Amino acid sequence: MQFKDESALIKALIQGSDAAFAQLIRQHQSTMVSLARSIAGDTFADDIVQEAWVSVYSNIAKFEGRSSLKTWLFRIVSNIATTRLRKESRKTSLDQLDGETPGSYLDSANFREDGHWKNPVATWRTESPDELLAEQQLKECIKKTLNRLPETQRTVFLLKEIEQVAFEEICELLNISAANVRVLLHRARLQLMQMISRYQETGSC
Amino acid sequence: MLNCKQVASLASDYLDNNSTTKLNWKIRMHLMMCSHCRRFYRQLKVTNKVARSALSEPSNDNIDELLQRIKESAKK
Ligand SMILES: [Zn+2]
Repeated sequence: MQFKDESALIKALIQGSDAAFAQLIRQHQSTMVSLARSIAGDTFADDIVQEAWVSVYSNIAKFEGRSSLKTWLFRIVSNIATTRLRKESRKTSLDQLDGETPGSYLDSANFREDGHWKNPVATWRTESPDELLAEQQLKECIKKTLNRLPETQRTVFLLKEIEQVAFEEICELLNISAANVRVLLHRARLQLMQMISRYQETGSC
Repeated sequence: MLNCKQVASLASDYLDNNSTTKLNWKIRMHLMMCSHCRRFYRQLKVTNKVARSALSEPSNDNIDELLQRIKESAKK
């Protein structure tokens, strides 16, 4: 990355630096697309994000720094997507928040009647993050698994873990409750964990 | 006392420090006594860490093309 701190990046953006803008896109584009999809659905997501970038490009001089730059970006996406959603009067579902996913770790079948493990999770050949990250194939599997997650689960995971956005802000961006954000984040992690487990057993995902 | 199913459901809240002090304590007690849940929680933590680094490598696809499109639309 060329611009390490945010004030240097903002300054370069205001001066119209292509490199600065490219860096901003590279850092946040996937989260923005995911966020737009969660709110307004697949069809409009790319349009919404493009509109958001145009707005950022034209209005960067007015950015007042009351929030962080990325929070500002995500709010723009969220606003455009919400407006678009109203216009098209479509409804997005919240990735079936109720009930448990069969086959997941939290499936009742994995527990005895008293709530203790009937089928405890399998041991891993390694629990070392460094060893796991040394495997290129696993990294590909992680990307693939993330892309297959229900839209809002993926968005919550990206906002929380990659963009490090605060819980309250995630609630506002997606217009969902804190309890729901926590459930979605937990599900996303469990899906990834299940894939890593499978990968440890079979060598593929 | 919490059972394993409850601990497994609350594991992310525990990881993110999102549970109340009292609940936190109950989860900690359970983890001290239950090796299955300890393993579950360890794997969850490792998963989060590994996924976070694997996904932090930003992509390079079509950035320049996108940038051109944005600039053109902004001029209009
Ligand atoms: Zn247990």
